[in-house]
Amino acid sequence: MISLKPRSILLISAIFRVGLILVGEWQDTHMEVRYTDVDYLVFSDAASLMASGQSPYKRTTYRYSPLLAFLLIPNSFISRCWGKFLFSASDLFVGLFIRIILKQRKVPDDLCTYSMLIWLFNPFTFTIGTRGNCEPIVCAIILWIIICLINGNVVQAAFWYGLIVHFRIYPIIYALPIVIFLDPRFFRSGTKPLLSDWTSDPGKARQINSELIDKCAVCDVWKSTFTRSRILFGLISGTVFLLCTGFFFHLYGWEFLHEALLYHLTRTDARHNFSIYFYHIYLNYERELSVLEKLVSFLPQFIVQLVLILCFAKDLVFCFFVQTVAFVAFNKVITAQYFVWFFCVLPLILPWSNMKLKWKGLCCILLWMGAQTHWLLWGYLLEFKGKNVFLQLWMASLLFLAANTFILIVLIRHHNYGPVFRQHTDLKTTKTT
Amino acid sequence: MSSHPQLRLQIGAASIPKLPAHLCEVIVIQRLPLGVFADPFELQNPHKHKAFRDIAVFGDTNLELPSFQSNRSAVEFHIDAGSNILFMQNNGTEFNLLLPLHARYQPLDESGYSVVEIGEPDMLMRCSVEGKQHKQSCLFMSPPNEKAKSTSATVAWKIPAGMKAHAGFVSVITFVTALLSTLSIVYASMFWSGTKVSKT
Repeated sequence: MISLKPRSILLISAIFRVGLILVGEWQDTHMEVRYTDVDYLVFSDAASLMASGQSPYKRTTYRYSPLLAFLLIPNSFISRCWGKFLFSASDLFVGLFIRIILKQRKVPDDLCTYSMLIWLFNPFTFTIGTRGNCEPIVCAIILWIIICLINGNVVQAAFWYGLIVHFRIYPIIYALPIVIFLDPRFFRSGTKPLLSDWTSDPGKARQINSELIDKCAVCDVWKSTFTRSRILFGLISGTVFLLCTGFFFHLYGWEFLHEALLYHLTRTDARHNFSIYFYHIYLNYERELSVLEKLVSFLPQFIVQLVLILCFAKDLVFCFFVQTVAFVAFNKVITAQYFVWFFCVLPLILPWSNMKLKWKGLCCILLWMGAQTHWLLWGYLLEFKGKNVFLQLWMASLLFLAANTFILIVLIRHHNYGPVFRQHTDLKTTKTT
Repeated sequence: MSSHPQLRLQIGAASIPKLPAHLCEVIVIQRLPLGVFADPFELQNPHKHKAFRDIAVFGDTNLELPSFQSNRSAVEFHIDAGSNILFMQNNGTEFNLLLPLHARYQPLDESGYSVVEIGEPDMLMRCSVEGKQHKQSCLFMSPPNEKAKSTSATVAWKIPAGMKAHAGFVSVITFVTALLSTLSIVYASMFWSGTKVSKT
């Protein structure tokens, strides 16, 4: 049983991150291999262009919102590490928000602590921010949106949602589950929604959270689509998104729209990455892919997202997690930084999983890491030894997708489902399977 | 060879004309063929390249395009003729320039490799001469028999390339795998999410 207080955990995490940033600076100056992510140099250059009144898009490969460059302007006059401290602070906020969400749902203290530790001391996540990657900001805002929603604060949730979709397009996949989640049975004017508390009894927790997907979930959404909460959420988030996008379009024109938005929507990369599609794209790069081919490669993503949403939207946090895992796994381009998108939600679903670390949990971790390592080995042979191992690398991508699919299914199988909210009246529909 | 090698340009000191060092700079231009690029941001790394007055990349600097969609480029080094790096080598008779290169994705090839040839660099010397009214620049080019010599006249770099023979089955298996994964997740979601037919 861990007896560390949350404040101590956050303090230790903060000191550790400051240390990593300082060591990283030393390494960059004295060693051949840099600690800092190459993307951080891109952000910093873009920020310095913005500080001198120029467009951040003069920096090639800067494909983010100008907001990010704006946040990093102090890199130019305070310290070049400013951005790293900002990202690491966001990283700490994620840990804090994990605790807040779990405590609100009455999860026992020790489980809350373990969940915080899973994020704060995960080697993947603490290096992300300290190396200068901006994903912790996205993660912190996503979790803040969850906090707003579970507290019934639809306006604030909508504001942050519109902002984060402008900042990083991928959270758009959460739009439909949030709309479904804003169920009028739970979200009533003037009344805070009632949270379902955590329970250690899987039988009691196993409630239906949606009816048959091709019947009542769709019917409910259709019939009660235009509720006050849903309209408010849609209007506010849409307005914030359009205002931000319109403002920066006014400042930076089509270059902004293309680099920050359209590029991500249409991105295909023939260079090797974890995606199963990379070799198919490379082998067909010299010709234009037909509409049918594009549709066929988009369909798996679309179908999986739709089914996951309709099955799990009422259990919003779990829905976010499974959606994100699937979104990353089926994407046409997968880079390691995308993994942090679901890592930040993972600690929030573990208290509801009846999978034990020994040995199923450990097997899942080893399988995922093993599949990744296997891919990296072939990638090393291709990139650093100049061997033609494209076929083997592509097969490693297939294995990685298989591993992700298997682990996702195992997590679904072991999850104790339940709506995040319960109804205000006594008319509970608790049908156990 | 790796996709990120370093090209070593060996320049004999004898090929550098004897001119007032404080007024002159040596310019080395290395042309890069299709399929290869130098990262301009990497070349600006002050730790590695502090000895140079300037380094610039001209031509296609898009780092992400494959070879068949990109164009040629050239890298230009400017070094003070009086700089220590010109004389700081083992025997003081030559100096080396290390140029980090990166391979683009090559056109498909049945052999599985594409050969890229990198030729010799050109070397120039530019001097500022005090004229009656203002400074003038004069450019000197090394004559062909004293041209900057690299270890071999042309460097051949064998880069892995995709094989067209793979195209058919790779596409089919990719989509079949995606389909199987999709069906598995759909089945698991419907079976284990606690869904049940409801008449309400």
